Amino acid sequence: MLLRLQGASLAALLLAAPATAQDAYTIGLTGALTGPPASTYAPAADALRLYVDGVNAAGGIAGKKINLILQDDSAEPGKATANAKKLLTQDNVLLLLNASLSSTFAPVVAEAKRAGVPVLFASSVCPKEVYPPADPLQFCTTAFASTYDSRATLAFVKETAKEPVKIGFSAMAIPLSRAEMDFAEQQAPALGMTVVDKEVIPPPTPDYTPFATKLRDAGANWVFSWAPWVTQVRTLEALRRLDWKGDYIAWAHIEAEGELARLKDGSFYVVGANALFQEQLPIHQEIATAAKSAKLTYPVEQLSEGWIAGMVVEAALKATGWPATPEKLAAAMSTLKVDTKGLRGGPIEWTKDNHFRTRQYYRVYRWDSGKGAIQQVKDWTGFDVK
Amino acid sequence: MQLAVNIVVLTAIYALIACGYVLIYRVSRVLNLAHGELLMLSAYLLLWTASLFAGHPVAAIAAALGLSVAVGAMVYLFLLRKLTGEMALAAVLTTVALGVLLRGLTVIVWSAQQHYPAVPLGLANWAFALPGGARISLWAALLVATTLAVYASLFAFLRLGRWGMRMRAAGQNPLLAAQRGINLHAIYALAWSLSTLTGALAGMLIALDSGLGQTMAIIGLKAFPAALVGGLDSLAGALLGSFIVASAEVVLIHYVDPLLSEVIPFLVLIVVLMLRPWGLLGTREELDRV
Amino acid sequence: MSRRPRASGYFRTNYGEDLSLLPTRLERLALLGVLVVLLALPLLASPFLIDLAAQVCLAVIGALALMLLTGYAGQVSLGHAGLLAAGAFTVGILFKEFKAPFFVTLPAAAAVGALLGVVFGLPSLRVRGLYLAVSTLALNFLVAYLGGEYEARRGFSTGIIVDPPALAGMAVTDAKAWYLILLAAAVATLLLCANLLRARSGRAWAAIRANETVAQTLGIGVASYKLLAFVISSALTAVAGALFAYYRGFVSVEAFSLFLSIQYVAMIIIGGMGSLAGAILGALFVTLFPYAIEASLGALVGASAYAGLLFAVNATTFGAVMILFLVLEPQGLIGLWRRLQTYFLLWPFRHRPVGGARR
Repeated sequence: MLLRLQGASLAALLLAAPATAQDAYTIGLTGALTGPPASTYAPAADALRLYVDGVNAAGGIAGKKINLILQDDSAEPGKATANAKKLLTQDNVLLLLNASLSSTFAPVVAEAKRAGVPVLFASSVCPKEVYPPADPLQFCTTAFASTYDSRATLAFVKETAKEPVKIGFSAMAIPLSRAEMDFAEQQAPALGMTVVDKEVIPPPTPDYTPFATKLRDAGANWVFSWAPWVTQVRTLEALRRLDWKGDYIAWAHIEAEGELARLKDGSFYVVGANALFQEQLPIHQEIATAAKSAKLTYPVEQLSEGWIAGMVVEAALKATGWPATPEKLAAAMSTLKVDTKGLRGGPIEWTKDNHFRTRQYYRVYRWDSGKGAIQQVKDWTGFDVK
Repeated sequence: MQLAVNIVVLTAIYALIACGYVLIYRVSRVLNLAHGELLMLSAYLLLWTASLFAGHPVAAIAAALGLSVAVGAMVYLFLLRKLTGEMALAAVLTTVALGVLLRGLTVIVWSAQQHYPAVPLGLANWAFALPGGARISLWAALLVATTLAVYASLFAFLRLGRWGMRMRAAGQNPLLAAQRGINLHAIYALAWSLSTLTGALAGMLIALDSGLGQTMAIIGLKAFPAALVGGLDSLAGALLGSFIVASAEVVLIHYVDPLLSEVIPFLVLIVVLMLRPWGLLGTREELDRV
Repeated sequence: MSRRPRASGYFRTNYGEDLSLLPTRLERLALLGVLVVLLALPLLASPFLIDLAAQVCLAVIGALALMLLTGYAGQVSLGHAGLLAAGAFTVGILFKEFKAPFFVTLPAAAAVGALLGVVFGLPSLRVRGLYLAVSTLALNFLVAYLGGEYEARRGFSTGIIVDPPALAGMAVTDAKAWYLILLAAAVATLLLCANLLRARSGRAWAAIRANETVAQTLGIGVASYKLLAFVISSALTAVAGALFAYYRGFVSVEAFSLFLSIQYVAMIIIGGMGSLAGAILGALFVTLFPYAIEASLGALVGASAYAGLLFAVNATTFGAVMILFLVLEPQGLIGLWRRLQTYFLLWPFRHRPVGGARR
């Protein structure tokens, strides 16, 4: 009898699995859920899972659930390719998401192209193929954007500075950060700023003081850093220890909100494309409630990227209709406009040529010691993406 | 002047980490490539004791140091002791594997995020001015002082202390020492404990100064050339080697290219190894076949 | 020459037989069987498994090269990832700057590897053992620095994309084709290593590994054979790196970390030092290990909470397995296999007879 029961349940399991797959939109994600860079990408994957669970709990999209498969690649290209192959050929996903280091992009995109499935980069750096003229199968919702970030930051520095700007740059010794700081170094003179120093710091450095010493001795009154959060914050701390009184501006990574409260530095500005949670917008409350009931391990402030990706995915799947195929989905995504409900400065709007967004918005925050809270210094400023 | 201060601080960091390598190698001829991960573990243990003894920083630090000593002894007693008699490479590779295991464990327990032990301990980090217009942070100054104290006590212990003499004997000729009645296993366990203790001091002070993350293990590895340059079995050599490597690094960062700072320790090492394979102050020995 | 235990009635009567790779008919049949299975794999397995098999073949090439250097010539090397990166970057740079085809880049990668082998083999003439291991450690950091510089200065901040090689005008992109190419490369490497070991170089390395002073006394040019080991091993590894670049279509400095060097060392330890078959087994084990962990995490009840910590669990269990092998079975998987063989061959006896019939 026990055997028959086991047999019956086994049969039910085997029969049930294909049934759910056919009645659902299947999407897959390969990401650095674990490994050294995980603290950047894992919260986004968690938030996406949270969003999808919410959509499914509310009945799904026109009755059809979203079946999200998360695969960990630990930021290794080999694993990412294997994940992509599995998701594309075994799970037959409609959409492949990537939340991992840029070294995983090329092989994943190659696999997806072969299967004709669109790739969405969520929380991973946007490759140049999503900017105009865009590759038909690559899309990106990630907040940061190379070159545009520097443009926005330098513009802000120029209008905020009260005296002639002598600017220094701090990068981490990874190609992405270095390229961005090189670009900023080129742009600064055109805005009337004097570039006094640029530091490229290798990651495993016990003491950032020698690099900060160079920045201070060069006479910088502003320092801009576009690098992983660790480099940004340690350079700042080292500078402050050297009694440097200048202004420091850096990219608002997901750790920014928590760290601003810890550092309590009134001359430390963060520029970002996501609204910080201290604004307490209705959407932030929604995310916080969902996160609390799901008991997520990551702080609520780090969930914006994944939530935005979830919103975009939901909208794209809705626009595709049923039955869905990768071709229909890609076509739907090429003319998508999603309202981010305040998480970003404006809607995420994709066109046939622009799979990044038509307009990128930035906000600048800093810590206000007087109020003991984060203060918004500059509201949404838009830049057209051409 | 700031340049000199930076050199002193970096020398102290490398020297404090390097003496861990030297202690174990001198006594048991084993290269402990897990030193970086062990000192990282000690810093994470501080994070844990900080939450246990919230509001009592001294107790937390003392507890963390005690735990580190225990960890060092346990690593020897339960792991390295099993490899007695095997070739030296096996012991080294075991420490490499231990390092990998510890990295995984620390991420499982504490996640890969950056932590700041100073926050739960309630300790602030302020900087003060030195003559000449230079500035140094509190923890960096403490680190320099600790390094000096540690080296002074180690020199005294090894030269004058009873167990220190036994350690030197075991390092020079294990067979003779064993026949003389010296308990080799106890000596080796003591060496490992001292090594993790000094590593723990280094790890905790660095974590209190600038934060704790997975990169601390690689910092431990960067100090390794400093130990080798001076001679892997010489404490004075470790100090000298750290000074050479740190000066090269800081000077090159300031005047040439900051990117070189990652490669410099190893380049210095290769140069010294080509000229004096046993390090600057190490004993000229028939280096063991691995 | 081979230490494999054999049943009675097998005798070697001339040098040719002593050197031959497959002396008995059973061994020849076994090899045929293995080849049949390997060639049939693309027809039967899923694309995921084929990719996995291709990864194993790539790992085998690197592992064999390292086994030659460390297991046979006795020179410790912790800079394997640097050599792989050097080969991969040679391909990337030549492709991006000169659009060089694969029959130019592969030999160029081998040449670069050989050059690095000479440079980092030179310390082996003056230092030994642990000090040598450390100087090879520098290789990792040096290549990472140079690769990062190239990527940054030439603007390939997200890595260098390499087009697949074109054979007779057609780009090789099919996974099955790649598997066969990599399998062929692995078999070629195995043959090369086996032949090197059968020849004078192999005997010289064995002598150097046993006792360097005595070897020198016997007239073996210790310096030149040590360098030869470094050069050949490094050239092979660089070619493996080049193949990796073509297979992935992508070169980036992040893919070649110190952990990769440790993985290759683990391959030869877990496989068993001093055995080419050990290198293959080790490569197989280490490559498949993470997937096995992932699968078992999924199967074990209650372990799904750790799925989010997959990388850390991988690292932990990997370290633990390495330690277990080092402590309990220093001869690695090959040692286990040999013990098994000996057990069955000698059964019902437990030990070989003293004197009398050996091997």
